[in-house]
Amino acid sequence: MTALDADTPGVRRAWGWVEHLRQGGTTPWRDWSVQGPARGRVLPGAQQLELLRRVNLAGAPSATLVERILTASAPGRGRPDLELAGAVERLRFGPAPVDPADLATHELIRVATGLLAEDLVAAGTPERPAAPWARPWRTRYRLAGDPVLTEPLRAGLTARGRPPGGRGVVLVMGTDVGRMLTDVWTTRCFAEGARAWSDWLPPQVRHNTLPPRADLVRCARAWAGRVGPDRVHVVLDPALAPRLVGVRRPVPAYPDVSADGAELARRVGAVLGLLVVPPRRRALLRETLRPRLAALGGPPLVVPPEHHEWLRARAVRMRDALLRAGYAVHGDPDALLTADRVGAPAPSDDGVLGLALRLLLDHDQTGPTGLAFGKEGM
Amino acid sequence: MTKRVLLHVGTPKTGTSYLQDVLFRNRPTLARNGILYPADRFDAHFLAALDLMRLPWGGLETEAIGAWDRLADEVRRWPGTSILSHEILATASRSQVGRALESLGHHDGTEVHVVLSVRDLVRQIPAEWQENVKHRSVISYERFLEEIRDPARETRIATWFWAVQEVPDILNRWGHDLPPERIHLVTVPPPGGPPTLLWQRFSQALGLDGLQLDLEAERANPSLGVPETALLRRINRAANRQLDPPDYRPLVRELLAHQTLSRRTGSPRLALPPGVHPWAQDVAATWVDEVKQRGYDVVGDLADLAGPPPLEVWADPDQPSEKQVAGAAVDAITALLLENARARHTEERLGRELHEAHLALERAYLRPTYRLREKIVRRLQAGTAGRRLLAVYRLARGRNSRSA
Repeated sequence: MTALDADTPGVRRAWGWVEHLRQGGTTPWRDWSVQGPARGRVLPGAQQLELLRRVNLAGAPSATLVERILTASAPGRGRPDLELAGAVERLRFGPAPVDPADLATHELIRVATGLLAEDLVAAGTPERPAAPWARPWRTRYRLAGDPVLTEPLRAGLTARGRPPGGRGVVLVMGTDVGRMLTDVWTTRCFAEGARAWSDWLPPQVRHNTLPPRADLVRCARAWAGRVGPDRVHVVLDPALAPRLVGVRRPVPAYPDVSADGAELARRVGAVLGLLVVPPRRRALLRETLRPRLAALGGPPLVVPPEHHEWLRARAVRMRDALLRAGYAVHGDPDALLTADRVGAPAPSDDGVLGLALRLLLDHDQTGPTGLAFGKEGM
Repeated sequence: MTKRVLLHVGTPKTGTSYLQDVLFRNRPTLARNGILYPADRFDAHFLAALDLMRLPWGGLETEAIGAWDRLADEVRRWPGTSILSHEILATASRSQVGRALESLGHHDGTEVHVVLSVRDLVRQIPAEWQENVKHRSVISYERFLEEIRDPARETRIATWFWAVQEVPDILNRWGHDLPPERIHLVTVPPPGGPPTLLWQRFSQALGLDGLQLDLEAERANPSLGVPETALLRRINRAANRQLDPPDYRPLVRELLAHQTLSRRTGSPRLALPPGVHPWAQDVAATWVDEVKQRGYDVVGDLADLAGPPPLEVWADPDQPSEKQVAGAAVDAITALLLENARARHTEERLGRELHEAHLALERAYLRPTYRLREKIVRRLQAGTAGRRLLAVYRLARGRNSRSA
């Protein structure tokens, strides 16, 4: 028998709190005193209980969601399920019991990501309309560069019977270098995964490098080597791109995802990798999660001010190199220089948890199809 | 016959690789004796554990999707005894343990036993640090010791270490739903004892006595000495950024650590600093007291957990002898050169084979009938009517190929 199985006032107080939370209560553990009978195999961990309290503060979870939270295990490596300080005495072994209010926010996010990953799998991806036949008279083209610009353009053109490929122009799409950096990181969060922004950006600055899809000079040079420089067009105003491939109507761009949204996708993606194969993970993150997060809004990610000087130097070098190489440039070359954007220089754990709670409650209320946000954002 | 599941859940560095290797290679013999070791590949139980605990592992987790449920399904269908074994199961949370036991039929009459092999902390601590280094870590030994001794246990290293090593806590999680007589503790004998003693203890705990098993090990997780581990840590520092996990595993962990550096036997062995020794023995003593009170089945001797006495001459892996590290580095370079030569020979052979395939393809293209067909297609593609005719022909032929 372990300390948690003992019928002591502390353990009964803990079970009383569990019942209070089950009923939608929001009283913190340290203010709780009512005792209750044991109702379960084991007392849930402090992380699960505090997450449930936060969910209760944010909305009204169903009984199903409540049970899912209480029986959830935090995925990945990290602190084990912790016991409640005051419910049991500290033993001579095992992690110390904690007051759940003192838990770091990322501990709660860890539990939430496991549940969100399950929700995503249950929700599936929205039905895609059948691809139309490829118009034989279409302008042949290929797209390279900033993935947040190229991906929706490629999808939009394909949906209009103009898939990429063939012998034609190569559009190297770009915008200000700071935005391209955040775009590349965000895209990775919704695809194969990335290191945390705070671990990913500094090495780029330290080694004075840009990731391949944000390095327009390298991109353009690589394509010029394959198809010749005359067919390479550098597009710095995305609105001009459709006309270059023979389309008049504008193609919708990706709606912006906040810094916290991208970070949440990164963390959920890591868990999703244990539930579905990589192509399915990518589809769920992009087609199901991304529109939902975009609909929730929030400040976008921007490069922190301490790197602006480096960013400007890189942008000037890029602009000069592209002009010197003689590629056709569509849009203002100075668009590459860092623009002053309002945003968050890094995701915040509190913001990420807030989004996670809203997604959990939204999914709980709309059911597995849960496409309310998906439809808005599509 | 009672349906039984023997679940070996750890701890790491207690001869688990050897045990799993013997069980895997002897599956047919075991099956003939009514014992199932359900694995179609050596690491099947590792993948199942990753799946159960939703543990990312450098990309390997993509091979683990659904692995636990498949394993549990196989166990439920087997009428006799099943054995499952992986040391990372030691980290399972209480709810994961609940799910595991449920899926193995714990509440449906199956007799589930938990087996935990344990070794003294005096040897486990340096072994765990070395294992971290073999998994790309660059943490110094001193820092590692500080982190695991910090009572807060908040770092990644400390949470993992105690999750897989703290015997009473592991048994609290795994033994919560089981009577003490179904929990078996196998102690690893102290150094210098008979080499077969540990196997005999495993054999007794798992009910394998009397079976004719091939005990020749093909796989093991060998240890490194002080300069070799120091070298590996330096390699991690220099190469981690460039070397992705799928390349790190075969080149650094397998080729350098296991196949090359572990064979150097003359160098000083990793050990606990004499100053940390009393603390480790105090911790072990509290565990022994706890285990005795709980009345588990102990296979071996709990006194084994006290560990060997401190070394008279201790070698610090954070400040190794540079001469010894250089010697290890020369061996490492030699191994990499030989591997590179082997890869070059393979590349040359494949290049030759590809060239021969190209030549054979060209010869096929040079046949008069092929050239005639090619000429006709070229002519037809030049005009609208010809292209339509070709399209009709391809439609009638039933596949959208342009090779004709």
